[in-house]
Amino acid sequence: MKFSYNWLKDLLKFKESPEKLADILTMYFAETTVKYYGKRPVLDVELLSNQVAEASGHLGLARETGAILGKIFIYPKINLKEKNLAAKDLLDIKIKSSNCNCYLARVIQGIKIKESPKWLKDALADCGVRSINNIVDAANYVMLETGQPLHTFDFDKICSKSTDINKKEIIIRQAKKNEKITTLEDEVYDLNEDIMVIADNESSLSLAGIKGGKKSGISTNTTNIILESANFNGVNIRSSSKKLGLRTDASWRFEHNLPLDLTGYAVDRLAQLIQEVAGGNILKGKVGQDIFKEKKELIPIKWENWEKFLGWSIKKKEIIYYLSLLGFSLQQKKDYILVSPPCFRNDVKIKEDVMGEVARLYGIDKVDSVMPQEVLTIPLHNEFFEFRKQVKDWLKGYNLEEVYNYSFISEQDKNILPNEWQQKLIEIENPTSALTKYLRPTLLVNFLKNINYNFRFVDKIRFFEIGKSYFKDKKNLKEFFVLSGTLAQKEKSNNLSILLYEAKGIIEDLFNKFGIDKDNYGFKSLENTEYSLLLEQGTAIYKNKDLIGVIGNPKKGLLKEYDCEGSSVFWEIKLLPLLEIVKEEREFQPLPKYPAIIRDISFIISQNILVDKILNVIQEASPLNLEDVDLFDVYIGKNLKSGTKSLSFHLTFRSKGHTLKNEEVDKEMEKVYKGLKNIGAEIR
Amino acid sequence: MDLKQLKKDAEIGISLIKNTSNLEKWRIKYLGRKSALSLFFNSLSKLSLKEKKEQGQKANAIRQLFSSLYKKKKNDLESNLSFSSNFIDITQPGEKIHQGHLHPLTSTLNDITNSFQKMGFSIIEGPEIETEYYNFDALNIPAGHPAREMWDTLWVKLEAKNEKSKMLLRTHTSPVQVRFMETNQPPFRIIVPGKCFRYEATDASHEIQFHQIEGLMVGENISLSNFKAIIEEVVKDIFKQKVLIRFRPSYFPFVAPGVEVDIKIKPKTKNQKSKINNEWLEIMGAGMVHPDLFKRAGYSTNRWQGFAFGLGIERIAMIKYHIDDIRLFFSPDVRFLEQF
Repeated sequence: MKFSYNWLKDLLKFKESPEKLADILTMYFAETTVKYYGKRPVLDVELLSNQVAEASGHLGLARETGAILGKIFIYPKINLKEKNLAAKDLLDIKIKSSNCNCYLARVIQGIKIKESPKWLKDALADCGVRSINNIVDAANYVMLETGQPLHTFDFDKICSKSTDINKKEIIIRQAKKNEKITTLEDEVYDLNEDIMVIADNESSLSLAGIKGGKKSGISTNTTNIILESANFNGVNIRSSSKKLGLRTDASWRFEHNLPLDLTGYAVDRLAQLIQEVAGGNILKGKVGQDIFKEKKELIPIKWENWEKFLGWSIKKKEIIYYLSLLGFSLQQKKDYILVSPPCFRNDVKIKEDVMGEVARLYGIDKVDSVMPQEVLTIPLHNEFFEFRKQVKDWLKGYNLEEVYNYSFISEQDKNILPNEWQQKLIEIENPTSALTKYLRPTLLVNFLKNINYNFRFVDKIRFFEIGKSYFKDKKNLKEFFVLSGTLAQKEKSNNLSILLYEAKGIIEDLFNKFGIDKDNYGFKSLENTEYSLLLEQGTAIYKNKDLIGVIGNPKKGLLKEYDCEGSSVFWEIKLLPLLEIVKEEREFQPLPKYPAIIRDISFIISQNILVDKILNVIQEASPLNLEDVDLFDVYIGKNLKSGTKSLSFHLTFRSKGHTLKNEEVDKEMEKVYKGLKNIGAEIR
Repeated sequence: MDLKQLKKDAEIGISLIKNTSNLEKWRIKYLGRKSALSLFFNSLSKLSLKEKKEQGQKANAIRQLFSSLYKKKKNDLESNLSFSSNFIDITQPGEKIHQGHLHPLTSTLNDITNSFQKMGFSIIEGPEIETEYYNFDALNIPAGHPAREMWDTLWVKLEAKNEKSKMLLRTHTSPVQVRFMETNQPPFRIIVPGKCFRYEATDASHEIQFHQIEGLMVGENISLSNFKAIIEEVVKDIFKQKVLIRFRPSYFPFVAPGVEVDIKIKPKTKNQKSKINNEWLEIMGAGMVHPDLFKRAGYSTNRWQGFAFGLGIERIAMIKYHIDDIRLFFSPDVRFLEQF
């Protein structure tokens, strides 16, 4: 918010330069920077939400600055020259809405509308307000001075009271259903019962606390005016201005619940200023009423609390000095101090606020740093967090780059996804654009965009991400951590399986690093999983009956949609179920005592017979002392009948009791050959 | 002739060789004057020019492969025999080892969590899709509170409109303070890392998503001075260089009083003209926990007190690595990722 440096200086009479003052305000009040309009310095103070009520006017800021600089600033007294005619004889105020805490009005007769004097225009310009005429400018000036929004009506444009033709009446009420109002800028707004208006007998005159209406606005012919100063309920003003889509300087100020003592002060000050710049006679007295009395807070704080809370030993004398500077009333007792904040500090409610105010004026930056004296404890072990950290470290070792993608996917992405996936999407009610309309149900979509983007710079991509995916499950909103990744290359390969096997190798090795035994998970067909709609070739990873992840080649259609053709593989694994498996600890195997015999076996077999099946057959042949079976070569191609493949395995035999002889192993190999021949293998 | 099969046979053959005499036999078989490959070359003269070129290139590639396989195997075998006599040029660069990289946000997060863990802070996590209650109401920010302006919110669309349980994407990690205190008793010290979201138009310094680390330390005597000491210590540990820190007043409805922490880094050289040098940069909002939060958790407010803070991870990473555009974090680009 902009404050005129010169205006502030006139009020408080300090010596500090604009830059020095900005530094002081930043460290003791709110972040402040200096800007210059020509040669006139302006302070841009980023008022905190709790400071608006107190210090959004120059007087309030002067009082604050004074407290920081060690000076008590008192608001100037206002002496008005009033006529004998009483305003209440010409005007009635009726408050019918509970959203109005206080409404006070004055009447001035015989003013002359003209241009404002230069000093007034300059002051407004410093604060970024456009000059209109002397009356409107005066109201704006007093708002900038006191923080209290003010409004002026043309007295003669307001209807007379139905019971008394010589009297005007202003009514503060909630709008009626289907009521409309036209503002000063000729904008028409539809109203309802939630919105408060200022009205006369016939129709609404203005949107209370938000904007003036056209009907009773000041024009060049205006001679008699009503000055309005009111205090409205902040929550009501905020919700009305939101509903109307109309935010004004006034509504913003009212939202912060202005102090009640400002209402009367500001209307008097406005009357004084209007007389100065527009002439006229001020009628005697204010019309209106306070219907809401602010209760005075009395906050007791034990003397011993200060050091316990702030952490350094602060003298009673200092406490009293700072609180007095801020205008708090104090009563010192033996064990405690009774503090009563001034009415303009409705943000101070509890003892922590009071102690905070003392720390602020003392200087939070000057407070001693003291390490806490606490019991030494080892922090709790967050298994899942540490697990994810470890996964990342290991994935990095596979030459994969870690990425962070957006948690969002776009409307367009949605339309590309299959129906089953679309139905699970969590939608954002107020997306910033069509690009952020849904939460990602899988990390695949954004990876495809990554591939497309990065193919501009490189031919091969190896990415992984650990992040959340989100979806609806019978109206429940779910989110869970997944580990996803992609290997992609620009070059089209006839053999999609190369990347697929590498990805599978990475996952298997990762599982192995965590000591996850192959007995604890298995690879099955992708069919019957929702991922089969996104991936064509691939496999699903199961833990017992639960699907915990997939590895596969994205469907050609998808690759085409995202313009990242070439070859690619994608995987996605739920991390929490994986951690469950890892928890079972790894056990040490004693080192072998006797040497192993390794036999290689090579055979041609139909492509329809999967490696999984062959491994089972070898196991079922139940050869003695077989320790390990390892596939080391697969060949499909020329020299082989179509539909067949050549497979080669290492078979490792080892006995726990003696050194194996060749003849023993030969015997066992015969069993294996037999088993394989039964499923049609042609041993080479 | 089937060059593929020849290649395969040769590869298998050489992989089984264990001594130099067998290697010599292999050389004669596959690279010798009477080798299949040589005969193939001889036969090329009978072909047309186009075919000659095409087939010749293929065969040549295979011959080169065989030669290199041979050289490599020979080297391997010889180095096994007489490693000491082998000539090594140690100034030659080593074999290039390919490694991936952790994202700078991960490294920064790890640095920060490590610092706090050293001081006994436990890591706690919470959901990203949050209720309005935990994100706002329980933090003293009821609907209609002007301070809600400080957190522009992305709301989740619900099928059945139920005003009482509106859902949103958490705008800060602070809701986890409330969740944690509901089920735990003081004293404790925790940090809560996590992803947060704001309704925000993105530019170089604003993002729709970002990461925070929430901190909460509660005990019988945890004071404002303690907060300062802990933060100063952690900032020193994170940046491992001279950092100026300043503490100034701020306001958040769930703390009293509120504090803002800024840091300033001296440029290492005069030429470093990054935006982040020699300027105060906000890194966290903080304060003493508001007693209303203790009341909601059922704690005795006369007994317990403490501090809370929210630290922006992107901000720290940007300062640490001199990154001037926050959007780089979430638009994966290999040229960016490979630098960390």
